[in-house]
Amino acid sequence: MSAVDVEALTVKAGSKTLVSNVTLAVEAGTWCTVVGPNGAGKTTLVETIAGLRKASHGSVSISGHPLAEMHERERAQRVALVPQHPVIPSGMSVDDYVALGRVAYHGLFRPPGANDRSIVESVLERLSLVDFRERDVMTLSGGERQRMVLARALVQSTAVIVLDEPITGLDMRHQMDMLELLKSEVAQCGLTVVATLHDLTLAGQFADRLVLLDRGEVVLDGAAGDVIRSDELAQCYAMKLRVVDVDGADVVVPVRQ
Amino acid sequence: MVALAAAIVGGLVIGPVSIGTWRIIGDVFSHVGFGHTTLTSTQSTIIWQLRAPRMVMGLLAGAMLAVAGGTYQGVFRNPLADPYLLGVASGAGLGATFAIVDVGHGVSTPTWTPLLAFVGAMAAVTATWLIGGRSMRTGVGTLILAGVAVASLLTSAQTFLQQQSSAGSITRVYIWLLGSLASSTGWGPVTLVLPYVLVCIAVCVAAGRALDVMSVGEDESRSLGVPVRRIRFIVIAASSLGTAAIVSVVGLIGFVGIIVPHIVRLLVGTSYRRILPLSVLFGAAFLVFADTIARTVIAPSELPLGVVTALVGAPVFVLILSLRRPVAV
Repeated sequence: MSAVDVEALTVKAGSKTLVSNVTLAVEAGTWCTVVGPNGAGKTTLVETIAGLRKASHGSVSISGHPLAEMHERERAQRVALVPQHPVIPSGMSVDDYVALGRVAYHGLFRPPGANDRSIVESVLERLSLVDFRERDVMTLSGGERQRMVLARALVQSTAVIVLDEPITGLDMRHQMDMLELLKSEVAQCGLTVVATLHDLTLAGQFADRLVLLDRGEVVLDGAAGDVIRSDELAQCYAMKLRVVDVDGADVVVPVRQ
Repeated sequence: MVALAAAIVGGLVIGPVSIGTWRIIGDVFSHVGFGHTTLTSTQSTIIWQLRAPRMVMGLLAGAMLAVAGGTYQGVFRNPLADPYLLGVASGAGLGATFAIVDVGHGVSTPTWTPLLAFVGAMAAVTATWLIGGRSMRTGVGTLILAGVAVASLLTSAQTFLQQQSSAGSITRVYIWLLGSLASSTGWGPVTLVLPYVLVCIAVCVAAGRALDVMSVGEDESRSLGVPVRRIRFIVIAASSLGTAAIVSVVGLIGFVGIIVPHIVRLLVGTSYRRILPLSVLFGAAFLVFADTIARTVIAPSELPLGVVTALVGAPVFVLILSLRRPVAV
């Protein structure tokens, strides 16, 4: 049994097919990144894995439990989401925002209990957010904000975390910091990560496995290095790419034609 | 709480017939077994059949309209939302006009006015939901637009009816539209709306934590385990039902539902766990206070309550707005 099982998944919006017959199994404690050009269906795929979209055909299971049979609260206890463009509610403190991740446990009619508070404390500390806890979420910088959104997902204490372009809008330094932070959480907590990333170099450096998606279909699925160096990658992007080895890391360089 | 207590005492004590404050308080205590009353039977009737029911109706109306406005602002994430957003006002207006101009030749006021106003209000909200509710998957924009369309249609029908009626009827419709607690003599209207209003207020206040979570948007709320569409339906239904019950008895009292939650938000921040219960208290106190002004300033005539709520509320709101940093909804 895998942490995430996607079985012959097709997702449609009206008559348009966004994801077509995708089968994917992500083992527990591994990091799988979905890459592909704009419009490939990456966001649709990960949103379906997070339970936000319904499958037209096929199924998604988390740790052997089909998503379609789960209530909202059970789903939120099994899979957490870091969206591409999180809504930041003005006036809310960082502490309150991160604690939203515990709603699936204490419910909508009771305040967070002692266990919820202790989990929030622990995550705030691990992600160096303790000093910001009383601040209005709107006053944070982009990097701090993204850490806060990750913290909210981590306090959900799920086995699987889904991230849709989690480093959008961050500078290089903060992109690297964010992914390193996530990597250390994966190592510490045995998290399973399913992410989408546009940056192929970073995708190759952090993921155990890459899934190349194009027009809703899986074109290639394999070890990060293999997918990065494949001919299919350049074909999907319809451009010339070079992969350069820098201190053992594959760096993907687009070449002007 | 102090403001609420002051508004209650003011609502009982202030009026064209002067009755001493301590004598009224003594009379209140005598009803629960402490001491004895010094009021004459006429004074007792003024207090218990005129001022007290009117004051209690003011408390209920203010609390319901304010909490419904706050709830709508949270569920629609729209600072301009008020309890009349989905057509309650226009539906109630058409129903009341129907009764007042006696279209059915037998649906005479005052018996039929609250009933038809309530039926009109609920029919309008139901129509809005049937038109716009199906698109709730894609957000609440379509529902709001459906409310605008239904309200326009019903308002035009009401205007047509008004135009066809006599000058006397037009005046009475106009007075009803401006809202008043004057019809709340005796305890009948209060007991009529009390069960609806208490349940609806309780539902809205209980939804505070859910509305806080929903401030991160529909998709993220769902990913956090909130059944967004179910919660939205329940709180919209409770707000609309409570508002319809109040409007059917007191007419269209404006301003309370939109301004009171904003004033509370400016004072205590953006959490609906604080905004909604405080809107109940502040709305209740505010409306009783406004009604006390409305019925005493030009006594024995009365000012329209909606005029007073705006005249009193707007400067207070502007004052707080200028003293505090504005906060988003």
